[in-house]
Amino acid sequence: MAYTPIIPLLLALVLAGCSLEPVKPWQRDLLAQPSMQLDPAPVDSYLDGHIYFSKEAASGGAGIGGGGCGCN
Amino acid sequence: MQLKHDKGALRRTLALAACALAGGSHPASAASQPWSLDSAVLFYNEVDRVSVVEPVVFAKRELADGGSLGLHGLFDTMSGASPNGAVASNRTQTFTSPSGNSTYSAAPGATPMRSFRDQRLGVGLDWMHPLGRLLRSNLSATLSSETDYFSLGLGDTLSLDSADRLTTWSLGAALSLDQVQAEGGAPDALTLLSAPATAGGGGDESKTVTELQLGLTQVLTRSALLQANLAVAQHSGYLTDPYKILSVVDASGATVDYRYEKRPDSRQSQVAYIKWVQHLDEDVFHLSYRYYSDDWGIDAHTLELNYRYELGGGRYLMPHIRAYTQTAADFHRYFLVQGEALPSAASADLRLGAMDGRTLGLKYAVPAAHGGELSLRVEWLQQSGEGHPAEAFGTLRSYDLYPTLNAYIVQFGYSTPL
Amino acid sequence: MSRPTPHARARLTRQGGGWVGHFTAFGSPCELHVDHPEERRARRLLRLASEEAWRIEAKYSRYRDDSLLTRIHRAGPRGVRLDAESVALIDLAERLYHLSAGRFDISAGVLRRAWRFDGSACVPSHAEVEALRPLVGWDKVSWHAPRLALGEGMEIDLGGLGKEYAVDRALALLCAEAPGTPLLVNFGGDLCVSGPRADASAWRVGLDDPAQSGAAGLATLALSHGALATSGDARRYLLRDGVRYGHILDATSGWPVQGAPRAVSVHAATCLEAGMLATLAMLRGAEAGEFLREQGARHWLVP
Repeated sequence: MAYTPIIPLLLALVLAGCSLEPVKPWQRDLLAQPSMQLDPAPVDSYLDGHIYFSKEAASGGAGIGGGGCGCN
Repeated sequence: MQLKHDKGALRRTLALAACALAGGSHPASAASQPWSLDSAVLFYNEVDRVSVVEPVVFAKRELADGGSLGLHGLFDTMSGASPNGAVASNRTQTFTSPSGNSTYSAAPGATPMRSFRDQRLGVGLDWMHPLGRLLRSNLSATLSSETDYFSLGLGDTLSLDSADRLTTWSLGAALSLDQVQAEGGAPDALTLLSAPATAGGGGDESKTVTELQLGLTQVLTRSALLQANLAVAQHSGYLTDPYKILSVVDASGATVDYRYEKRPDSRQSQVAYIKWVQHLDEDVFHLSYRYYSDDWGIDAHTLELNYRYELGGGRYLMPHIRAYTQTAADFHRYFLVQGEALPSAASADLRLGAMDGRTLGLKYAVPAAHGGELSLRVEWLQQSGEGHPAEAFGTLRSYDLYPTLNAYIVQFGYSTPL
Repeated sequence: MSRPTPHARARLTRQGGGWVGHFTAFGSPCELHVDHPEERRARRLLRLASEEAWRIEAKYSRYRDDSLLTRIHRAGPRGVRLDAESVALIDLAERLYHLSAGRFDISAGVLRRAWRFDGSACVPSHAEVEALRPLVGWDKVSWHAPRLALGEGMEIDLGGLGKEYAVDRALALLCAEAPGTPLLVNFGGDLCVSGPRADASAWRVGLDDPAQSGAAGLATLALSHGALATSGDARRYLLRDGVRYGHILDATSGWPVQGAPRAVSVHAATCLEAGMLATLAMLRGAEAGEFLREQGARHWLVP
């Protein structure tokens, strides 16, 4: 099993976040846009998730609790 | 000015407008329309193989406590043919289903395909509720039913925001309990198809999947955010595909018999996922990378990009590119050789072989009445593997053992606040 | 709105039995009066008020590179999707446009390229004004909430609403934070009170005569509820051939409103309402007083 050094990676990200100029509450207008959400089109990602779950060996990542079909 | 004689009316209008604006807590628009609907019909078509028609509906209601309730439902109709695992041969191949009720055949030189027709009904529920000022829970339950498969899923994700709400940590757990009710009963693993059906092969089989996920979302700048997830999953129970077989070939490469496949009854996987969302002046892109690894020996990399190009007036075009690659499972075999020792697990399922996938897609969306959106999404995807592996010998060398798959997706979408 | 305020810190000083905080926003001196002896409470409220003022200033500033307005201008006809707060403000601006038969127009700001109200005699030529008029007009703007798309080269300016809106927002925030504390919020002369002072008396507000800066007050008025907003600035005008051109521009003509008072202050329930009444009154020119009487609004004119 090849575990990649993910925990150090996560920590590096947090630290990177800290070292940047902090985003002020009034600067969140862009982040509030629907297109900036992590999953802006849940139906598309749900359907894609289903397709790739049934066609590929790898699954998961963006969220948990996918699957649920006999297609794999 | 037109309101000259309407004494005081103008003032009342202004007073009302001013009151609404200053008194209202923004953003207030979501609360005024508590229900929203997101729906789509997907047409998935593989060239010469499977076709799926899948309508889905997602409904969401904002709750007074700041949480939300989501419901979704879908109904798949699947039909067509998929490779059964056997290799092509110079003779016509005929296969009998485990129940013995039906037979199907493949012409000389053709990759054997098993025809099927199935329907799937799925429903799900999501309940997001705040547990505190910065902590919330997202509970989900799903139910999915097919003729030969039943799945029940439960999950919960806890999310904790930092005080400045620029960082969110999440911890999720999910459990899925599945029942496989193979047509004619699950066959005995690795037995020869030519052997008389044993009474032992039979009942329903079950499988359990547990997942754990740690996630981090970090706002980097005013226009960029990053998500990183780390997940582990444990699959236990009946992980075999009851309809898949392997060809047994002789020294010349000719097929002499077939065996049912067998996969290990446990699978542990890890996933590392990272997504970057960036706002560029007007456009937005989502770039993600996923690394997957499991103890079946599969390593997979996925790179995905969505670029939302604003056309103005609420219309946008969204190109989508996805690249995928996976290594083969340790027990993946294109075929078994007569006389050699039987491995403890073997599968010729193309989805467990080394393979590359690519997807190109485009979505076009236009605003609809009352804040809704209409969209059309068209995608092409392809999967290809090594059609002439080094292990092939004799007559097997003249066949493409990994036929390339081409598939098309057409999806119509409609979303609207209710 | 004015030049970006380098976020100068807010200062708090004791005044009588309470506190008064000072900071700069919207290019103007701003004040918060807290009629309560507790210093920590005053400090907390001052921070809330100043941050809300700076938030709104930054978001709707014409001068800042990272403001929403700049983004709207850059996007031009491609349009921008607005957040709920901006949708409400733009809706209000559109309503004022219709109520004033087009004289109030947030897209009229580009006319300032021709009109520089610096007390001089530099009245622009007819041609100069006409050259800018294609860039003015709310009817040329595509507004389908939440999406706003301006015509090529057009600009908008929420200066006529932003400061008053900020006063109301700040007061609402403070009242939610410390209910019952007597407060007066004053952003550059537009102000609002939470109610009477701690001893049940009214707040004393001095109305300056803009022509004689400082010393000679025009009037002192008692305010125990509601808001006061002022439109007009006696220092901003042009004078040529004996004709005084006030700085209130009529968007339909591109020229200053004739015969308007130099300034008008209006009392109303909220600062935004008072400000809109004052602005609409100024656009009526010589009929400003009559208009405000018709609307039943308490007001003070500087003729």
